[in-house]
Formats: sequence, C-alpha cells, structure tokens
Amino acid sequence: MGLIVKTTARVTIPLIGIFGSYIVMHGHLTPGGGFQGGATIAGAGILFLIAFGLGEMKKRYNKNLYSALEGLGGLAFLGVAMLGMSVAFFYNTLWHNGPVLNGKPGTLLSAGFLPIMNLAVGLKVFTGLVSALTAIALWRRWKG
Amino acid sequence: MIAFFYAVVLVGIAGLISVLRLILGPTVPDRVVGVDTLNTLVVAGMILLGAAYDRAIYIDIAIVYALLSYIGTLVIAKYLQGGLA
Repeated sequence: MGLIVKTTARVTIPLIGIFGSYIVMHGHLTPGGGFQGGATIAGAGILFLIAFGLGEMKKRYNKNLYSALEGLGGLAFLGVAMLGMSVAFFYNTLWHNGPVLNGKPGTLLSAGFLPIMNLAVGLKVFTGLVSALTAIALWRRWKG
Repeated sequence: MIAFFYAVVLVGIAGLISVLRLILGPTVPDRVVGVDTLNTLVVAGMILLGAAYDRAIYIDIAIVYALLSYIGTLVIAKYLQGGLA
C-alpha cells in the first residue's frame, strides 16, 4: 500500500498490540479475555500483512515458531488445568491455597488460574489466526 | 442522562441513512464509503451508550471496534485496488 498507510500502520500496530494485551491481561476484570484479546492482536498482524505486503510478511513470519507457540498455548492451558489434579480436573488450586494470584477479588493478581489461562488462550488465538491468514495469503493458484 | 439517549437516537438516524446508501449505492466504492461511515457512527453510538449507562468499561469495546473497522476498510480498499501483491 501507499506511504500514508505504511506510516499509519507503523503507529497503529503497537497501539493495537498493547490494547490487545490489555484485554488479555484484564480478562477476569473487564469485558474480553483470551479469545477477544488474541483476535485483536491478530488484527495487528493482518494490518502488517495488508500494509507492508506479502514479501515483508514472508521475511518476518516464522512458520515453525508460530506453530510451536500455538501448541505451547494449548499445553499451558491444559497444564494449568491439571494443577489441582489431587482434588479434581480444573480445580482452581491457585485461588484456594496457591502461592500467587490469590489477591483480593477485583485486583489484577486475583482469580487463581484464570489470568494464566487467558494468556494461554490469547497466545493460541493470536498465533493460530496469524498463521491461518498468512497461509491463505500465500495461496497463489487462482489462475488454475 | 436522558440527553445521551436522544443523542444515540440521532446517531441511529444517521446510521439508517448510511444503510440506505449501502442498499442503494450504484457502485462498490459507494458501498465501502457507506460501511466506513456506519462504522464511525457505531463507535459514536457505543461511546454515547457507555455514557448513558454510566459504565466506563464499554468504552474499551468502542476502541477495539474503531481499530478493527479501520483494518476492515483497509482490506476492502486493498482488494479493490488490485489485490494482495
């Protein structure tokens, strides 16, 4: 795209990234959460792909890294769910008797495993959506 | 407080007019401009409703909508300009 779009994207991509991270981190306090924040950060990735083109995206995008990070997000979700396995699956042991994340309800470091799960889902959604859209953009066989 | 709801009604009437352009628009760029106008009006309506219901966290959704509608318009513009190159 043109110069104005590229310059605006340089300003807007960090803004979208920071706002999406805010949505993910405050998922247990305000509207939003893992999926919404992850989709917002993926919007920054799509803006990069649209504004700077596929050639620049090919240089910056690493398929193996994104694939590994998506798996890591899912594994972190499951691992946190297994923390309280001595009582039950998905037992929120961090909230009931954990060392961290058991502050007063309404503060950032509260709600047990929910912030960790939001971070895991946000990472998974961001890497998954960016990988899917880059793969679609790389598909170049519309001429038969 | 009730003034905010009247303002929302005014913004809604403006949105209906831009939906009319969306339906009638003879060419595709007309419809794109209609969608862009409607996005901005929806952001204004969201902020006014957040003030009317006295909830500050509704403003967050308006910010996200403003950022993502910009990307949506950009994607359509890039498609009309000649595709992803």
